Amino acid sequence: MPTDSPAALEIRNLHKRFKDPAVNDLSLRVKAGEFYALLGPNGAGKTTTLRMVSGLLEADAGSVSVCGIDAFQDPVAAKRILAWVPDEPMVYDKLTPLEYLEFVAGLWSMEADYAQAKADGLLEAFGLGPHAGERCGGFSKGMRQKVALAGALIHEPRLIILDEPLTGLDAGSARQVKQVLTDLVSKGVTVIMTTHILEVAERMADRIGIIAQGRLVAEGTLNELRTRASAEGHSLEDIFLKIVGGGATSEALTEDTLKIGEKVA
Amino acid sequence: MSGALAPSAILRFSRHELRLAWRDWAWIFSGWRNTSLRRTLIGMGLVYAVLHLIAYAVLSPQFAGGFQLDQTALAVISVSVLLSTTMMLSQAIESVTRAFYARDDLDLILSSPAPSRDLFLVRIAMMAVTSWLMSALVLSPFLNVAASLGGSHWLAGYLVILAASLTATGAGVLITLALFRTLGPRRTRLAAQILAAVVGAAFLIGLQVVAILSFGTMSRFALLEAEFLSLHVPAASSLWWFPARAVAGQLNVLTLMLGGSLAFFAVGAGLGAVQFRQSVVRALGVAETSPKKRAATRAFRGRSPLGALVSKELKLIARDPWLVSQTLMQVLYLVPPAVMLWVSFGENTEISVLVAPVIVMATGQLAGGLAWLTISGEDAPDLIATAPISPATRLWAKVLAAQALIVAVLLPITLTLAALSVWGALITFLGAMIAAACAILIQLWFRAQASRTTFRRRQVASKASTLAEAGASISCAGATALVAAGSALAVLPVVLLVIVLGSAWGVRPRGRAV
Repeated sequence: MPTDSPAALEIRNLHKRFKDPAVNDLSLRVKAGEFYALLGPNGAGKTTTLRMVSGLLEADAGSVSVCGIDAFQDPVAAKRILAWVPDEPMVYDKLTPLEYLEFVAGLWSMEADYAQAKADGLLEAFGLGPHAGERCGGFSKGMRQKVALAGALIHEPRLIILDEPLTGLDAGSARQVKQVLTDLVSKGVTVIMTTHILEVAERMADRIGIIAQGRLVAEGTLNELRTRASAEGHSLEDIFLKIVGGGATSEALTEDTLKIGEKVA
Repeated sequence: MSGALAPSAILRFSRHELRLAWRDWAWIFSGWRNTSLRRTLIGMGLVYAVLHLIAYAVLSPQFAGGFQLDQTALAVISVSVLLSTTMMLSQAIESVTRAFYARDDLDLILSSPAPSRDLFLVRIAMMAVTSWLMSALVLSPFLNVAASLGGSHWLAGYLVILAASLTATGAGVLITLALFRTLGPRRTRLAAQILAAVVGAAFLIGLQVVAILSFGTMSRFALLEAEFLSLHVPAASSLWWFPARAVAGQLNVLTLMLGGSLAFFAVGAGLGAVQFRQSVVRALGVAETSPKKRAATRAFRGRSPLGALVSKELKLIARDPWLVSQTLMQVLYLVPPAVMLWVSFGENTEISVLVAPVIVMATGQLAGGLAWLTISGEDAPDLIATAPISPATRLWAKVLAAQALIVAVLLPITLTLAALSVWGALITFLGAMIAAACAILIQLWFRAQASRTTFRRRQVASKASTLAEAGASISCAGATALVAAGSALAVLPVVLLVIVLGSAWGVRPRGRAV
């Protein structure tokens, strides 16, 4: 990976400890306009890492740079160009999707007419147009997820971070979301996504990072991962299980995995 | 599904329900922390012992020369039983409504092969049992002390409380079912919650209003003076005093009350159990919908982040009738001073001395609730935390929203008061705003991320903040009354306020962020 290209996200030596270390000296770099999938077993530190990047959690040590802005030194500037979509859609039951988007546009100080045009376009793109005037309280999880995603996109972020965005979506909604994300990447937006649906990562991601025990243990394109894991012709699922162990638990890390981790470092 | 539930299954389900009720209470009393449960239980034990001492101080003079069940005693005991019953009824309506609408384990129960009628019957019975246990716990110091001073027949009070809880639970079920039939599943939830809030406060406030109209004072005890009682209340042989006679251990009255309440409960619970399944299915089918589909083409308003946040907070509160009904309880306590104002209109220009502390106190409590909603009860914390705004702007917007609502409530009262005394109105308004500011400040110090649905439990979640809020409101109320009366002693509650705020600051949780 060339290191002189502009990085949408650069994490250096990030540490976070709760009772045990959750993120342990993690470093990674995501190029602008890249679709990056962050994989790992449950409790590996994916969400903790991304929450620190988004300013939702304080790091114990390390640095995070978003499009060249130090996210810890100037969080407001970093947040202006970043969007975070959690796995549980957080929308207000008492607001309609349109009101929600108006609220988000206000938070990001968007010009009203422009925001409205964007909102209309996003609601149509996600198939929420007919529900634009209904309160979100009666929506299914999938619809709420799409409202949250529309909220993340309305302020035109340069980096969008999604934590399990496809959980709970039906096939049609999942396709809509994937299409929107692909379009965003084609327009130069950087997308970082965690997912347990490995086929999605396999098909959509430019590069894939695998975290286990709070460390980046493997990273690269699908082919690079195949080569490093000596798993030519195998699916991402095979590679993933080989790297993190069959039980998919962080304790099940094998010596091979750590060797791959050394290659990354 | 047919047949009845086996006795062993009923026993198991009863045990399950009791366990859930116990864990719920333990969770509440420990401030939502499992680790402090032991300390909480020790604390509760100490409080329970102190309550016994208080009960002894109150009752020992009455028993010193042999207890006389005169008209005053009959009135005091019967009114106490009635008061407990209204509280239990309020709780029962709340519990039954929750049983209809809270999803929790309903899917499991409705999809299980066990007859849901029997399961719901057990659930209703457990509502009565837990209601009895809680009321008995609160009133037991008085009953225990009375029994030790006047004889074991006073322990009959426990059975009277049981009769009251059976009646209240039966009535709660019947009222909720009636609301369900007349208003339908969509409106019943809100109506029942408002009704529960009003029932909970109405009796207490009613007594105050009658006292004001009769004596021009806000003391509920004025009604219990012998002269008033001899003129206005039924004779000692009246049915109205049955609760007092039953508490005193009159066996025939006790048997009649217990039998009557059991029969009433059986009817209510039986009807409720039969209709529960159908009602629950209908209630679960009710989705959150807009009362009226809003225009999807309305133009966006260009707002600053601060404006967007304030507008959102106001909109969310205005659109949540459940929260409005919960805060209604606090606003209801403004009714007696309002009546006092009306009664005294044009007669007494110093009325602000009497009314100001009540208004200030109520405002402080209301502000605490609203501040909790705007500061801690954020339903999309990640969105707010990742928005490009400073933490100060974020908090300031929430404070502003709470203050705006307080001013909206306070302004009409202040203007009415100004018609009597401009000075009094000014002092009351200032006192109320300071009380509100203190409550908001305490909520800021003790802020913790929580769902708005836990609003009712906010007061037990942090006992320190609840005590601090109450202490600050009382100090502000006292200072306002003394300033209105032109007394230099006003400095004392001000000092107390500083101590309360200082203590709250000292014990505030560190390292929390919203």
